[in-house]
Amino acid sequence: MMLKRLMLLVAGALSLVPLSPAHADQLQDIKKKGELACGVLGTDEPFSFIQDPASRALVGYDVDLCNAVAKSLGVKLTLKQLAVSARLPELQQGRVDLLAASLTHNKEREALIDFSLSTFITGQKVLVKKQSGITRLDQLAGKKVLTVKGSTMEQNIKKAVPTAVIISFDNSPQAFLALQQGKGVAYVNDETSLIDDFSKLGPVAKDYEILPHNLSTEHLALGLKKGEPAFREQVNKVLRDLEATGEAEKLFTRWFGPTTKMKFPSRPFKLETDKID
Amino acid sequence: MNSFDVSLLLSGQYHDWLVSGFALSIKLALITLVIALPLALLVAVLRLAPLAVLRAVGVVFVEAIRNVPLLAHMLFWYFGAPEVLPEPLKAWLYERDVEAASAVIALVLYTAAYMSEDIRSGIRSIPKEQMEASRALGFSFLGAMRLVILPQALRLTVPPLISQTLNLWKNTSIAMVIGVAELMYQAQQVESASFRGFESFAFATGAYLTISLAITGASAWYHHHHPVRSA
Repeated sequence: MMLKRLMLLVAGALSLVPLSPAHADQLQDIKKKGELACGVLGTDEPFSFIQDPASRALVGYDVDLCNAVAKSLGVKLTLKQLAVSARLPELQQGRVDLLAASLTHNKEREALIDFSLSTFITGQKVLVKKQSGITRLDQLAGKKVLTVKGSTMEQNIKKAVPTAVIISFDNSPQAFLALQQGKGVAYVNDETSLIDDFSKLGPVAKDYEILPHNLSTEHLALGLKKGEPAFREQVNKVLRDLEATGEAEKLFTRWFGPTTKMKFPSRPFKLETDKID
Repeated sequence: MNSFDVSLLLSGQYHDWLVSGFALSIKLALITLVIALPLALLVAVLRLAPLAVLRAVGVVFVEAIRNVPLLAHMLFWYFGAPEVLPEPLKAWLYERDVEAASAVIALVLYTAAYMSEDIRSGIRSIPKEQMEASRALGFSFLGAMRLVILPQALRLTVPPLISQTLNLWKNTSIAMVIGVAELMYQAQQVESASFRGFESFAFATGAYLTISLAITGASAWYHHHHPVRSA
């Protein structure tokens, strides 16, 4: 009862606050202010993180994308570190102009905010031993495939290769151990976990390979306030330009490439679409 | 969405998963029982053998197995033991159903260790004078066991052995940790695929309960028709 009354009070107070102050166009506002406020996580290497504890400067793939947008507008970039759950509200309330915060583009969120072109596309993948000679998903037909119980991986591999014999374990280290011992030809997990497992292999990592095909895809994108077509077009233009000039490739290599911890051999996507599955 | 959807259990993909899991659980239990029972008998006789070396073998077998949880046995026989096999044999085995094979080995050894103790108790309940009398009449140790002691002892042992069978039936569920698609595994799969955990675990519970009650019923029936006679 107490709680209900309190909630009513809060709701009443909120209704007094004008929700969206009338303004012409966000793009013009940013230019007039001379400043682009970009929301990042700051805790998610290599997307946005603090590399050098002395300078406490935020760096990363997401930060570089913010930089590119600010540069195209000829304004100063201000980075704001956000908590994961605070990302959408901060954007909706106008405290940041742009979200570059490892944000997954999905259908549910489309109702709340707009998205740029996908800036990073990742997904569930398949790890095999090179000696198995498997390079394509359809070669897994009738073979034993190892994964984690209760995961969406199970359902996705079943969809991709219906005849595969799927053996699932309680956790990913067990499934990975079973692959190492040869109890199955392939191990399915999301790409970040696979890369983590890969890095733990040490020198024998050269005997393993991650197949390029995605079982399911996850699109990360920049988040924008709803109903700002001019600003959205500007951001997308910057992304398309990055792609066209080869700058996008350089950015990817800088944060995810072979010389980094992530060790992606190549970039599996391009900055070209804002469509999601 | 919150109502209990019986149709999910009666037909369709999830029904098939659950039924195949149920069938595999029964198969695991039966195969294990058929191998474990003679092994248990052998171990029980070993533990009462006149030779100290044989008795020691029996003791080591029982204690080494009984003092380790079944879960550890499963993981050992799946992840550990096969790794010491020679490479070609290992490759051959791994292409087959090594999951089920490892589960059967773990279940057989675990069940046999417990059953052998029950059988040994049965044998020890036969007055030792019977063995002495048999030996005095010229029977060998094995002959006396086979013709005089075991026929009486096994009869006494049936109720505890049925109880061990009940344990075996429930223990098959542990095989899911090594990826054997038995009943519990399939119940979890249905839950994660359909979010109908209540229905799928209700099926699993019902299935375990049904078989367990049938085993208990068999025990009661046996007890009624073959009451234990004092020797």
